[in-house]
Amino acid sequence: MKRILAVFLGVLSAIGGFVDIGDLVANAATGARFDMNLAWAVVVGVVGIVIYAEMCGRVAALSKRAVFDLVRERLGPRMALANLVASFLINLLTLAAELAGVALALSLAASVNYLFLIPFAALLVWLVIWRMPFETMERVFGLLGLTLLVFAVAVWRVGPDWGSLVHDSATPRIPSSETPWTFAYYAIALFGAAMTPYEVFFFSSGAVEERWTEKDLATNRINVLIGFPLGGALSLAIMALSHLVLAPRNIDVGALSQVTLPVASVLGRLGLAAVLIGIFAATFGAALETSLSAGYIIGQYFGWPWGKFLRPRRAARFHVVVLIVLVIAGLFGITGVDPVKVTEYSIVLAAAALPLTYFPILVLANDSDYVGEHRNGRVMNFFASIYLVILVIVSLATIPLMIITKAGA
Amino acid sequence: MAEPAARTLWAGLELLDRQLRDRHRVLCGNVDDVELTYSEDRRILYATAILSGPGRLARRMGGRRLGDWLVAFIAGTTNDNHDPSRIPFRLVQSLGPVIDLAVDAADLAAHATERWVRDHVISHIPGSDDAAE
Repeated sequence: MKRILAVFLGVLSAIGGFVDIGDLVANAATGARFDMNLAWAVVVGVVGIVIYAEMCGRVAALSKRAVFDLVRERLGPRMALANLVASFLINLLTLAAELAGVALALSLAASVNYLFLIPFAALLVWLVIWRMPFETMERVFGLLGLTLLVFAVAVWRVGPDWGSLVHDSATPRIPSSETPWTFAYYAIALFGAAMTPYEVFFFSSGAVEERWTEKDLATNRINVLIGFPLGGALSLAIMALSHLVLAPRNIDVGALSQVTLPVASVLGRLGLAAVLIGIFAATFGAALETSLSAGYIIGQYFGWPWGKFLRPRRAARFHVVVLIVLVIAGLFGITGVDPVKVTEYSIVLAAAALPLTYFPILVLANDSDYVGEHRNGRVMNFFASIYLVILVIVSLATIPLMIITKAGA
Repeated sequence: MAEPAARTLWAGLELLDRQLRDRHRVLCGNVDDVELTYSEDRRILYATAILSGPGRLARRMGGRRLGDWLVAFIAGTTNDNHDPSRIPFRLVQSLGPVIDLAVDAADLAAHATERWVRDHVISHIPGSDDAAE
């Protein structure tokens, strides 16, 4: 039982990254626009995050150092500061969107204008961070988030031709209604969502919060091998359902309510209830992940005491950062910005900074000062290096593609 | 106390930007800079102190005036005006990904703002002294 419960750090990290407010909509939108032709981008992203999350979990278990410690140590204070500022702003934008997402999920159930619910959502997130033990937090929201598996149930109930679904995914082509540029832009958005840096900030810091040691290296491996592929599977299920139900009816997806539509039409009220719970949990989980990550990365950059495992008095600056971030993000959310647009932009902007986060992880997972005898093997380094090349290409291509396609329009 | 025997190290790789921890294992800043001193015959450079704190970080990143001001300002808040951002090497207990020091976090410059935030903000919120587990 303990082994099973131990995987929820990975599950929550992945749910917050793969199926947060922006990605719920992005996955459904790509399914409706591109059918299954972009499924490969999710798969490539899952493999990448599994490789790098394993490394940062291993480094955290053996050295007690989380990802932003590694960034500062390998890039030096200036480059690390550039990464810190970018990552912090991305966290803030994403958090604003997630708070709006939590409020939207509540408003779909309670029919109140969601803007009124944003302060309430922010307060709830803060209370969980202030009072709830880390492991309870990851289990509650990880477990609730699994209700999103209802998308997979709905796909199964539609009863697609599985052979052609797999065949379509395995032989991608650019649909005639799209350009190579929009195809590449959405591929980067899906890949970027899979490898969002706050996932590794949260995962590695969580490993330190849970006081992992060398004995937990197996737990680390199970976490990454179950959590992140599960996040990817949820992503693909949403895409597939949208491809099966929405695409034939020419429905374009631009809002959260349209994501719930196909499940409700296939599974009825019970299905809809499950989706709403799942969306609430996923956006809430992502809000926890991004607000904590904001505190983690600043604390690690400056060497402050950080973490939920300490009494707030003993990690005062960390808690103040989390509090301030929640207030600012809440205020930003109340202005009525479109949360879906905000996360989509922030994912793509995050993609531009990806190598600055992942390169130090790769270097220090090979440093015996940090990992002792558990250095990367040759195979690991081979694949991790290939991904580093992909990350650099993605980071260079991202902003030009955003401009050419007018952000995927 | 006699200075311990020196060892060779790559300060840029094995020292700079690493995490500091006090005698109670409380995280208390990073190695923001290192003080180097020549031996008498000027042939060997010794790392004689770890420099840590916002002023030292600002200096290392090129903000000389801001850095000097911060170093002096934080020194001014101590009882005897000593510089809490300079940690002599004899107070270093072990080197590694974490550097353990024989000091109390409260006596270091990197901890100054922690104290202020704790006393003026966090301790006013109910539950600030409860462990979350």
